[in-house]
Amino acid sequence: MRYDPPFRKTTGLIPTLIALSVLALLPFVFTDSYSRHILILAFVFAIVASNWDLSLGFGGLFNFAHVALFAIGVYTYGILAKTLDVSPWLAMPAGGLVAMVVAALIALPVLRLSGIYVILVTIAFSQLVYQIVISQSDFTGGTSGMVLLPALDIDGYRFVKNNRLGYYYTGLVLLIASTAFLYTFTRSRYGRAIIAMRDNKYYAMARGVSEARTRLVTLMASALFTGIAGGFYGSYVRVASPDAFGLGFLTLLLSILLLGGAGTIWGPVVAAFVITVFSEAIGDLGPWRNILIALMIVLVLVFYPGGLWAAIQEGREILNTAISGLKARIRRGREKAAREARLGARERMIETRHGPVAVSDTGAPKSADPAPPVLMIHGNSSCKEVFTHQFAAFRDRHRMIAFDLPGHGVSANADPEKTYNVQAYAEVAEDVLDTLGAEAPIVFGWSLGGYVALELAARGRPVSGVAISGTPPLAVAPDDIGAAYDATSHFILAGKQFYAPNETRAFATSTAGPKTAESAFLHEAVTRTDGRARFYMITKLMVMNWPRQMRMLREGTVPFAILNGSDDPFLNHAYIASLAYGAIWTGKPNDIEAGGHAPFYARPEAFNEAFASFIAEACHPPVAGQRPE
Amino acid sequence: MSFETLLFVAAGGIVLGGLYALMATGLAVVWTTLGIFNFAHGAFIAAGAYIAWQISSTEAFGLGYFAGAAVSVAAMFVIGVITYALLVRPFERQPNLVLLSVITTLAGATILESLLDILWGARSKQIARVVEGDVSLAGVTISANEAVLLALVVVILIGLGLFLRRAPAGRAMRAVAQNREAAQLMGLDVPKLYAIAFGLSAALAGLAGLFIGSIRFMTPTMGTDPLLKALIVVIFGGVARFTSPIFAAFIVGLIEAFATFYVGLYWAPAVLFAIMIAVLIVKPEGLFGKYEKTV
Repeated sequence: MRYDPPFRKTTGLIPTLIALSVLALLPFVFTDSYSRHILILAFVFAIVASNWDLSLGFGGLFNFAHVALFAIGVYTYGILAKTLDVSPWLAMPAGGLVAMVVAALIALPVLRLSGIYVILVTIAFSQLVYQIVISQSDFTGGTSGMVLLPALDIDGYRFVKNNRLGYYYTGLVLLIASTAFLYTFTRSRYGRAIIAMRDNKYYAMARGVSEARTRLVTLMASALFTGIAGGFYGSYVRVASPDAFGLGFLTLLLSILLLGGAGTIWGPVVAAFVITVFSEAIGDLGPWRNILIALMIVLVLVFYPGGLWAAIQEGREILNTAISGLKARIRRGREKAAREARLGARERMIETRHGPVAVSDTGAPKSADPAPPVLMIHGNSSCKEVFTHQFAAFRDRHRMIAFDLPGHGVSANADPEKTYNVQAYAEVAEDVLDTLGAEAPIVFGWSLGGYVALELAARGRPVSGVAISGTPPLAVAPDDIGAAYDATSHFILAGKQFYAPNETRAFATSTAGPKTAESAFLHEAVTRTDGRARFYMITKLMVMNWPRQMRMLREGTVPFAILNGSDDPFLNHAYIASLAYGAIWTGKPNDIEAGGHAPFYARPEAFNEAFASFIAEACHPPVAGQRPE
Repeated sequence: MSFETLLFVAAGGIVLGGLYALMATGLAVVWTTLGIFNFAHGAFIAAGAYIAWQISSTEAFGLGYFAGAAVSVAAMFVIGVITYALLVRPFERQPNLVLLSVITTLAGATILESLLDILWGARSKQIARVVEGDVSLAGVTISANEAVLLALVVVILIGLGLFLRRAPAGRAMRAVAQNREAAQLMGLDVPKLYAIAFGLSAALAGLAGLFIGSIRFMTPTMGTDPLLKALIVVIFGGVARFTSPIFAAFIVGLIEAFATFYVGLYWAPAVLFAIMIAVLIVKPEGLFGKYEKTV
C-alpha cells in the first residue's frame, strides 16, 4: 500500500511556493552585497546538508566523508577551471560527477561495515583524501590551497556584479534543483529501498533489496549535488582551501543537519538559513561562536531531538487544532438553525467524560407503539448531519439520537491522547445515552462509528440491536486490517493528520460522494475535523480489545446487521463474508446496491427499508432467546 | 639504506609508538567500556598539555614538571567525568547512542578547544623537557627526553594493566565492559564505573598531552592529529584485549616512521589511512581482534 501523490497535490505545495517566491524576491529587499553573501552561503550549506541527510537520515549510513565530497567538488572546479582552462559552466557539474566517483570509492569499504565502523572508515577516508590533496601541492596548492579561481559569467556579464545578483540566483536555482532531486529520489523505488534498509534491514533484504547496491546508490546520489555545490562554492569564493576537509566545517554542517531534523529534506534546508544567519550574527565573538554552536547542538539533542522540522510540525498541529476548534465554536451558534433543519431535531450540548459534544435528539415520538430509540454514530471526519435521511424516515416511530464525535462537527476538540480513540468514543456514547435517558437503543454505526457501536455493545451496554455499515469487524489489529480493507490510497488518508485541499476532496468523495450543493456540508465536515482525531485514532486501533467484539458477534448475543454498499471502495467483501456471525440479520452481510461507503446517504430508500426490517426483527425476534436480558 | 639508518628510523618509530600507545589505550578504555567513540579525546590531550604548561612553565606558575603532571592528570580526570555526565549520560538509553555520542563528543571537543583558545590564546607554547641531552644505546642516539618519556609510558601502561587486571575497580570496569546487564545485576554501580572509565581515559589523554607538549609546540587544536592516529591504532589493533592497541601502536609508529622515511612526510599519513581502510575491509574487528557475530 503506498500513497504518494505528486508534489503539486500535497500539503507542501503552498508553503514551498511561498518560500520560493520570498527567496526569489529577497534580493530586492536585501540589496547590499553582505546579506546576499550570507544567503548564498546558506544556499550552499542547505544543498550540502540536505544531501548529507540522504545518506545519514534516510539511509542511516553515517558517512562522515560527506564534507570531503564537497571539498572534492571545490578542488575539481579549481583544477579544471583554473589549471586546465575548462569553462566554469562545465567545471561546476564536473565537480558533481567526480564527487560521485569518489562516493563510489567510499562505498567500497563501507559495504561490509556497520555502525561505528562506518563512521570510522569514512573519517579515515576523508583524511586520506585530505592528505592526498595537501601532498599534491603542484596541482592543489598544498596546505595553502588554490586562489583566484575563475568566476562565473555569461557573455561577459560577471555574476559578482550588481552586488552578487548572478550568484544569488545561480545558488537559488541549484538549491531548487537539488531539493527537487532529493524529493523525487526519496520517493522513487531506490529511495523506498534506502528507507526500508534503514528501518528493517533483514526484512528489506528478504524482499529482495540488495544492501550493497542500496548503499552504493545512496552514497552516489548524495554526492551529485554536493559536488556541484562544491563547484559553485569554488566559483563564488574563488578559493579552494583544505579547510573544507576540517572538523570545523563538518561540525557546522552536522549542526545544520541535526538542528533541521535528520530524515527530512526540508529540515536541513530550513536550518541552513537559520544557522548561517545565526552564525554570522555572532561572528565577531571569535571562539565563543564555536562554543555557542556546539552548545546548541548538544542542547537540541538533549531537549528537542526532532530538531527544527519537528518544531514546525508541532506548530502546524497547534495551528490546525486552533483553526478546527475555532470553526466548531463559531458554527455551534451560527449555523445551528441549518443543522436543526437538516435533522429536524433540536441540538444541544452535552457534557461527557471527554468534554462537551453536540447531540441531536428528536425526542420521544407520538406513536403509541413502544419502539426503542435509535442512536446513530457517524464515521471518521464526518458529522451527525450525515444521517439526515434516517432522521426523516424514522422519527415518527423512533426517538432518533445522533452526536458529533469529539473533534468532529460542532463538538469541541479534546485531549488527543485521552479521547481520540474508539474506546473513548464508546464512553462518550454511553454518557450521551445516560444523559438523555435513552435505554436499550438500536445502535447504528458507520465506518469508524461502526467500531464505536460494536465497542459500546461489547462493553456490556444493553442494546436492542447493532447495525454497522462500512465497518469490517476485526479480531487482530493491525494484522486483520490488511485483509479487511482494500489497500487504496484513500484508506491511507483515514489516518493522515493534515490534508491538502485535494485530499479533503478525495476523502470526502470516497466516503460520502462527490461534492454537490446538497453534500457540501459533508465535505466541509472533513476540513473541520481535528487532524489529531484521525492520527491518534488510527494509531490507537492497535490497542483495542478486538477479540471481545468478535466474540460478541460470534456468540450472537446481540441482534446484528451488516448493511454495506455493494461498491464500497474500502471494504474487502470476501473478508466480511468469511467471518462467523452468531445472530446476523438475514444470515449474511447485506449489500445495498451501489451504496458506496455511505449507503444510508447515497441510497436512502433501499437502506431505510433494510434498516427498518432489521429493527422490526430485532424488536420482535422470530426465535426466542436472542434478545439480551 | 644502512643498518644504522634503519635502527635510527626504528627508534623514532618506537618513540612514536609509545605515544600512540598511551593515546590509543585511553581511547580504547572508553570504547571497550561504554561502546562509544570519544571524539573529544584529542581535545583532552590539548587540555592536559595546557594545564600542565600552566602549572609547570616558568612563564606561568613555575611549580615544576611533576607538579604540572600531577595537576594535569587530576584535572583531566575531573574533566573526563564532567564530559561523561554532560555529553554521554543523557543519551545512554537511546538506541542510536553511537551516533549521538559521536556528535556530542565532537561538540564537546569544539567547546573544549575554543575554551583553550580563549584561556591561553593561539600563540604556540612548549613544555620544558624532563631532561636535556641525548642518550645512546646500541649505536642509536635519541634525545634523553624521549627516552624518559618512553620509559614513563611503559611504566604507566603496566600500571594501567595491573589496575585493570587486579584492582577491584579495574576488574569491575572490565566486567561492565563485557556484560553491562550482568554486572548491574551483580550490584556494580554502572554509571559510576562509566564515569571512572571516562575519567581514566581523560587522565591518560592528559599524560599524552603532557608528553607531546614537550616534543612539539602546543596549539588548541594540537589534539586533532594524535586523535586521528589513535583512531588508526585502535582500528588497526582492535580492542579485544588491553594489549591489542599497545602492540598496534608500536606497529603503526614503525610504519609511520618508515613511510616518512621512504615516501615522504606528506604521504606517510595517507599510507596509514590506506592501511586502516584496508584493515577495516578485511578484518573490521582489528588485527588482534576476535571475530564476533553481531545481530
